[in-house]
Amino acid sequence: MDSISNMDSISIKHIEKGKNQVLIILVLGILTFISSVFALGLGSSKNLDMLTVWKIVLFDIYDFFINIDTVLGNVWYNLSGCITSSCDTRSLMHGIEREGTDIQNSMIYDWRLPRILAAIVGGIALAVAGSLMQGCLGNPLVSPLTLGVASGAALGAALAIVLGFTILSVPALAIVANSFIFSLIVVAIIIQLGKMRSISAESYILVGIAITFICGAIVSTMQYFASDAQLSQLAHWSFGSLSRPNTKNVAFMALILIALLPTALKWSWDLNALSMGGDEFAISTGVDPDKIRKNILIVSALMTSIIIAFTGLIGFVGLAAPHMSRLVVGNDFRKLIPCSAIFGSFLMIFADTLGRTLFAPVVIPVGVMLSIIGGPFFLYLLLKRGDHH
Amino acid sequence: MLKDISFSIKSNQVVSILGVNGAGKSTLIKCLNGILKPKAGKIKIISYFENSAEINLVDISSLDLVGLSKVMSYVPQSVRTSFSMDVFDVVLLGRKPHIKWRITDKDRHKVSETLRYLNLEDFAFRKFDQISGGERQRVVIAKAIAQDPNLFLFDEPTSDLDLKNQIQIMKCIREIIKDSESPKSALIAIHDINTAARYSDKIILLQNGSIKAFGSPKEVLTEQNIADVFGVKSSVVLTEENYIRVLIDDEI
Repeated sequence: MDSISNMDSISIKHIEKGKNQVLIILVLGILTFISSVFALGLGSSKNLDMLTVWKIVLFDIYDFFINIDTVLGNVWYNLSGCITSSCDTRSLMHGIEREGTDIQNSMIYDWRLPRILAAIVGGIALAVAGSLMQGCLGNPLVSPLTLGVASGAALGAALAIVLGFTILSVPALAIVANSFIFSLIVVAIIIQLGKMRSISAESYILVGIAITFICGAIVSTMQYFASDAQLSQLAHWSFGSLSRPNTKNVAFMALILIALLPTALKWSWDLNALSMGGDEFAISTGVDPDKIRKNILIVSALMTSIIIAFTGLIGFVGLAAPHMSRLVVGNDFRKLIPCSAIFGSFLMIFADTLGRTLFAPVVIPVGVMLSIIGGPFFLYLLLKRGDHH
Repeated sequence: MLKDISFSIKSNQVVSILGVNGAGKSTLIKCLNGILKPKAGKIKIISYFENSAEINLVDISSLDLVGLSKVMSYVPQSVRTSFSMDVFDVVLLGRKPHIKWRITDKDRHKVSETLRYLNLEDFAFRKFDQISGGERQRVVIAKAIAQDPNLFLFDEPTSDLDLKNQIQIMKCIREIIKDSESPKSALIAIHDINTAARYSDKIILLQNGSIKAFGSPKEVLTEQNIADVFGVKSSVVLTEENYIRVLIDDEI
């Protein structure tokens, strides 16, 4: 069929546009990677400047590959060490001569690297969850915390800290498990309400707000009767911080994210139809809005809960990253989701690095830094939206 | 509530549904494409192509939404969005029932062909929310065409448009149906009697959820029927071009 092989100018332009968008995403990805490399070298330690850090890391990588036979010989030792105790480069590089001193290695691999990895994983998860939520609820002011995930997590944390009511008795993970489980309970309640009466996108948001009030009321009551130490601990939990997750935690977060990402991407076309035209428009292209809304809320809640259980509350990323990537690649979710992920990890790396270098050696938690940037940004969003309409 | 609805549409026919607000026009359309589900009863489509005298019995309640969207395409009254896309991408959404993930050249070709057919090439890369109401309606119709259905369902396609756009859209719909080499038909829920009379082959007149009359505009739009259903006195005239025009005199 000749008419198809001679592509018309409109189709050609569409292909070009698509290619440009992919190129932009690749460039942004590379820039984010460079910024994470940069972030590894930034810090308040005097004998650990950028060049030293990278000398150590590059030599370690070189030594690792030169001595790959030693590594493979130790592989069972390393894996069992990873699972039973801490998962760090000491076990990975067991028996190989290290370039830096013990202190330097500890700074780089035990302090900085986990935070950067946590920033990347957390940034991707929150940003993707945010773009999914905005798409399925048809509202650009929605974030992954809108449906009460945050208030459920706060409730779980408060129950653990103030009342000592924990679901998991392992002390190190008690608060984490509580936050995770209670935020999922909240989402389950909302989904169940959605099943009972088929509720619209707006109603989901209103129910989320109502649940946030209820959980907030319970937490406030507990705070009123809590001791000073407990209040302080709860307050600190609510400032999302990347110091808390260790490498093992980050690996766990990453595994869950990797398991959920393909499902999220698979919904791209459905989200394109649903966010573009609303429920009836989506049905006309074969999308079931109720079913897909329910599934997306579950996946988005899982992604968000697993991150904030470990880090505490982190807002702004889930709201801002999709908006920033919409400005760059438009509203096709096949490109919006990867681009949001990249913007999300960049925002987290940026905020975290700024927080630990601005008033060094004081570390401002990433949640606080993001809130500081978030307010003005949100105002800008509202003004831009006002202009538009 | 709709009761005992039974009618037939031949291929390449434009059928309008008329009735007062609440008679069930939109409801009927939405039952066909899966937006509303019948509490009792089944919906069956029997289709046959006059050339081949082939009879296909399709039980709609057995088709899932994707299956339905390959057979019929619904054009809502208006589409408002918070997440605007390029016009090309909106029309491309019509290909969604036929796409797994990747867009093929054939899909793109269908979209640009449709844009050209509806004089929308210049708008291909404009944002959907930055074009006028009439242009938006044409884009949504383009999306329905790109979907390649056998049946088009229109829900009040002219209500939000000014007079000239109303005529253009109805002419456009008629052209799509009559020009097509493959069997395509349109079912239009509309409240403007004269627009329906001028552009339809058949009219379904709904009253209280049942079909009061079904046939050609001449057969259905009698002064008696109009008085019964709409509660107005009217005069029905046959124009020179041989279509019905209803002149409303007064309420009854």
